Amino acid sequence: MNIFEIKRLCDVDSMSFSKLFFVLFVLFVFVGPIFVSKTFGADSENVVASVIEKAENSVVSAYEAILDAEQIGANVSDLLAQLNVAGICLANARAFYALGDFENATHFANLCYDIGEEVRSEAVELKNEVHKLWVNAIWLRMTTSIVGVIFVVFLSFLVWGIFKRRYQKRILGMKPEVVSGES
Amino acid sequence: MNLDDYRTLFASMSLVLILIATVPVIDLVMPFSENGESFSELWLLGPTHMAEGYPFNVGVGEGYSVFVGVGNRMGRSEYYTVYVKFRNQTQPLPDVSGSKPSPLSPLYEFRFFVADGETWESLLIFEILDASVHGDFMFVGNISINGIVFSVDSLSMRDSENNGFYYQLFFELWLYDVATQSFQYHDRFVGIWLNVTAS
Repeated sequence: MNIFEIKRLCDVDSMSFSKLFFVLFVLFVFVGPIFVSKTFGADSENVVASVIEKAENSVVSAYEAILDAEQIGANVSDLLAQLNVAGICLANARAFYALGDFENATHFANLCYDIGEEVRSEAVELKNEVHKLWVNAIWLRMTTSIVGVIFVVFLSFLVWGIFKRRYQKRILGMKPEVVSGES
Repeated sequence: MNLDDYRTLFASMSLVLILIATVPVIDLVMPFSENGESFSELWLLGPTHMAEGYPFNVGVGEGYSVFVGVGNRMGRSEYYTVYVKFRNQTQPLPDVSGSKPSPLSPLYEFRFFVADGETWESLLIFEILDASVHGDFMFVGNISINGIVFSVDSLSMRDSENNGFYYQLFFELWLYDVATQSFQYHDRFVGIWLNVTAS
């Protein structure tokens, strides 16, 4: 048999199989974890990034709800103070994410999300409460203005009528005086 | 004065009174209480909470503190971010004429909300964790800001005129824009120069 001839599979002895298996096993044990950790690492990075994004969106929604409430005259200082805690958590989450500390990043992002959602619902409630008062205030203002205008018009005609009558009476009550001319 | 003159006077007075009566409704459409110019303030105070005693000669492994503050005069509650950046003498600052932020990546950030007419302030403690001198160059590796360690890997050349290795810690103010749903640089920054000395 030619020594350079490639062996057929059936000709490969059991020793060669065990060698091949050993080499593959060693490769799997030492190289496999690198690929696995990289894959899982990239996955967990993406997961944390999406958690942070969710937290950011929650804070923005809460802020927009606060603005709506503020626009109709609600006192939002307590809500802003609560949302500032969410802001601190979000800043920490982003800092830890940038440093590759995904555990802390997730922890702070989740905390931020919870606070953001709570503030948003409180802001919506506050807005609904204040909205009723706001509508009442608008009605009151409009009614006051309309009543005020009617009152002013009525009063003006009344006073003008009285004044006109007195004026005419005064004019009619005047007696013409003959003043002798110099010439 | 004849009767026509009196009539004109009465009509004018009535119109003025009608205008006064409609003030509450006019205020709904065009609020009188609205401020003129809207702006934000950004400031930096030293460790004694005064505009003095700012950290300047900075050693490795020692903590230094400053107070950063923001005032809101925008006419409504605002959502701000202050980015903390670190640079050597050759790296760019924000572009004042073009209203553009520095292209350097922020190390640390503050995110906060301020009601109209209110202010916000926070303490910032920083520490150069490692710095080494190599001839006419200094290399700063890590800096800690409020307890979080950041890698800066910044090289600075000796300033022969001022005899030292100078870095700058500066703060940029960004404002959340509801229309674009993103933070925009608010055209304000403050900073302090640091003469870093390696032990």
